Amino acid sequence: MINLIADLGSGLLGKLVRIGQALLMLLQATIVRPKASSFSRLIQQLYAVGVQSLIIILVSALFIGMVLGLQGYTLLAAYGTEQAVGQMVALTLVRELSPVVAALLFAGRAGSALTAEIGLMKATEQLASLEMFGVDPLHRIVAPRFWAGIISLPLLVAIFSLVGIYGGHLVAVDWLGVYSGSYWGNMQQAVDFNGDVLNGMVKALVFAFLISWTAVYQGYTCVPTSQGISAATTRTVVYSSLAILGFDFILTALMFGGTV
Amino acid sequence: MNKRWLELSVGLMMVAGVAALVALALQVSGGNMSRNAQSYAISALFENAAGLGPKAKVTMAGVTVGEVVSVAIDPNALMAVVNMEIYGQVDYLSIDSSASILTAGLLGEKYVGLTVGAEEEVLVDGDVIEDTQSALVLEELIGQFLLNFGDN
Amino acid sequence: MAIDDIINIQNVSFYRDDRAIFKNLNCAISTGKITAIMGPSGSGKTTLLRLIGGQLNPHEGQIRLFDQDIAALNRKQLNQIRARMGVLFQSGALFTDLSVFENVAFPLREHMHLSADELYNKVLLKLEAVGLRGARDLMPSQLSGGMARRVALARAVAMEPELILYDEPFAGQDPIAMAVLQRLIKDLNSATNLTSVLVSHDIAEACAIADQVILLGEGRVLVQDTPAALHASNDPAVKQFIHGEADGVIPFHFAAPALQQELRGGSE
Repeated sequence: MINLIADLGSGLLGKLVRIGQALLMLLQATIVRPKASSFSRLIQQLYAVGVQSLIIILVSALFIGMVLGLQGYTLLAAYGTEQAVGQMVALTLVRELSPVVAALLFAGRAGSALTAEIGLMKATEQLASLEMFGVDPLHRIVAPRFWAGIISLPLLVAIFSLVGIYGGHLVAVDWLGVYSGSYWGNMQQAVDFNGDVLNGMVKALVFAFLISWTAVYQGYTCVPTSQGISAATTRTVVYSSLAILGFDFILTALMFGGTV
Repeated sequence: MNKRWLELSVGLMMVAGVAALVALALQVSGGNMSRNAQSYAISALFENAAGLGPKAKVTMAGVTVGEVVSVAIDPNALMAVVNMEIYGQVDYLSIDSSASILTAGLLGEKYVGLTVGAEEEVLVDGDVIEDTQSALVLEELIGQFLLNFGDN
Repeated sequence: MAIDDIINIQNVSFYRDDRAIFKNLNCAISTGKITAIMGPSGSGKTTLLRLIGGQLNPHEGQIRLFDQDIAALNRKQLNQIRARMGVLFQSGALFTDLSVFENVAFPLREHMHLSADELYNKVLLKLEAVGLRGARDLMPSQLSGGMARRVALARAVAMEPELILYDEPFAGQDPIAMAVLQRLIKDLNSATNLTSVLVSHDIAEACAIADQVILLGEGRVLVQDTPAALHASNDPAVKQFIHGEADGVIPFHFAAPALQQELRGGSE
C-alpha cells in the first residue's frame, strides 16, 4: 500500500517536472525577436498545419451541421417548435461543437503530424546538426510550428461553425421544409456575438495553445527511435484530447454557467 | 512545393477564417455588437422578480431595447431591484414608464417589458422605474383562482 | 596562434543513469592530424564526440577546445567555437526539406553575408570537392546513403573549419563508398591543415588513414598510439579489438549463472 502511494507520488512529481520542462521549452522557443526569415517559415508551417487541415474540417463541419439539422428537427418537431432548429444548430456549434470537434480533429491530424515531424528530425540528428551550425532548433523548428498551430485553429473553428450552420440549413430548410426566414431569424435573436461566438473563439484559442504546445514538446523530447516517435505521437493525441475535453468543461462552466 | 501556391493558399485560408468570423457576427448573431456603445443604466424595483436573471431581454413594444444586468435585493425597500442596460439610441422612455416581468410563450424565459408613459421628460442614466408589475408566480395564481372560486 | 593540442580532455567523468561511461578520462588530440577514436560498442565513442562538440557537458573534469573550457562558455561563445568546426553525423543528417544545394549553402547563409554569386560559387566548389556538383538540385530523399554522407561532408566543410568530427563515417558503406570517403578525409585534412577526429570501429579503414589512434575501453583510454604500434601491441584488450577476436578481455558470454543450473528437466 505504501509502495502504491509512493509510486503515485513520484509519478505525480514526475509529471509536474515534465510540465515545468515543457513550459521552459515553450518560453525559450517563443521569447525571441522575430526576423524576416522567420516569417517565411511561419507561412510554410501555416500551410502544413492549417491549409492541409482544411479538407477534414470542411467535410466534418458539413456533416456535423447536417446531422444537427436532422436530429434537431426530429427532436423539436415533437414539441411543434421545429422553427427553432436554426438557433439550436447555431448555438450548439458555436458554443461547443465547433471548438471541441475541430480541436480534436486538429489534434489528430496536425498535432500528430507535428510531433512525428519533429521527432523524426530528432532521430535523424537534424536537430543536433542545427545546433552544431549555431542555429537554435527551438527558434528555427519548434517556434514556427507552435505559432502556426495557435493561428490556424481559431480560423478553422470559425470556418467550422459557418460551414456547419450552412449544413444545418441544407437539411432543415432545403430538405425538411423549415422556413428559411425562421432558420436565420431565430438564430440571430438567440446567438449573441460576445457571449457565444467570441466565447467559442476563446475556447478555440485555449485549445490551440494546448494542442500546439503538447505536439511540439512531445516531438522535441521523444526518444529518437521509431518506437519513441510512435509513442510520442500517441501521447500527443491522447494528452491533447484529454486536455481539450477537460478545459472545455472548465471554460463552459466559467462562460455559460452563470446564465442559469 | 511551389512557393506561389503555398503563400496563396495560406492567404486564402486566413481570409476565409476572418470572413467566417465576420459572417458569424453578422448573419448568425444578428450583429448585436452595437449594444455596448453609449448604453445607459436604469433600474426598477419589483415585489417579485422570480425567474428573471442576467442577460434577459428588456423590450418595448416587443422590440429588444436592452438587457438585464443583475437582479439583487434592495435592503432598504426590501424588494428586488433589477438593473438594466438600455441601448443609447433608445432615449425616449418617459419618466413614468412602467416595467413588467413577462414570460415569452407559456413555458418560455422571463423578460422585462417596458411601456412608455405620457410624461415629456425621459429616463436617463441612473433613473429608477417606479411603476412595476411583478412576475406571475404559478402558486400565487392558483391561490388567487381558488380564492375567487371559493368566493363564488 | 597555433595550439599543439586542439582538443584537451582532462579528468573527464560522464554518467548516464548511474552508469559511468567515462571515469577520469584523459587524452589530447593534436592539431593538424587525423585521429581515430575506436573501441567496442558501448565504450562511449559517440558520447565522447558529443562531449567535444559541446552537446553534452561532462559531470566532472574539463574539455578544452581551441584552448577554451567549453562547459564554461555562454551560448554566443559556444556558437563562435562551433563555427570553427564541422560535424559529420552518422546518418548525414541532411535537412530533408532542402535540396542538396540549399543544404550545403545553409551554414554559409547563417554565418556569412555573401552575394548570391559568391554563395553559388562557394557551394559549387564544395560539391565539386566531394564529387557531387551534378547532384545539386536533388532532394536528400533521392540520394543513396553514400551520396548523402558526401553531401553532408560538403556541408560540414562549407565554412572551412579548423576541426572536423566524423561520427562513424564508414558504417554500413559499400567498399567503393568507403574508399571514396577515405580519400576525401585524407585529402581534406592535408589540403587545409585541418584536424580530423573520426569515431569508428572499422579498424582497417580507420587505421589506413589515421595518424593517431585512441582506443577506448572500460570508461578510459586503453591506448593512444600510432596504428602500427597498436597492431604490434601485446595488451590483451588491444589485441582482442585489433585482431577481432570473439572472446577475450570482453567476454563472449553475457554474465549469467552456470548453464547446468538454468537447464530444465530436473537433471543433476
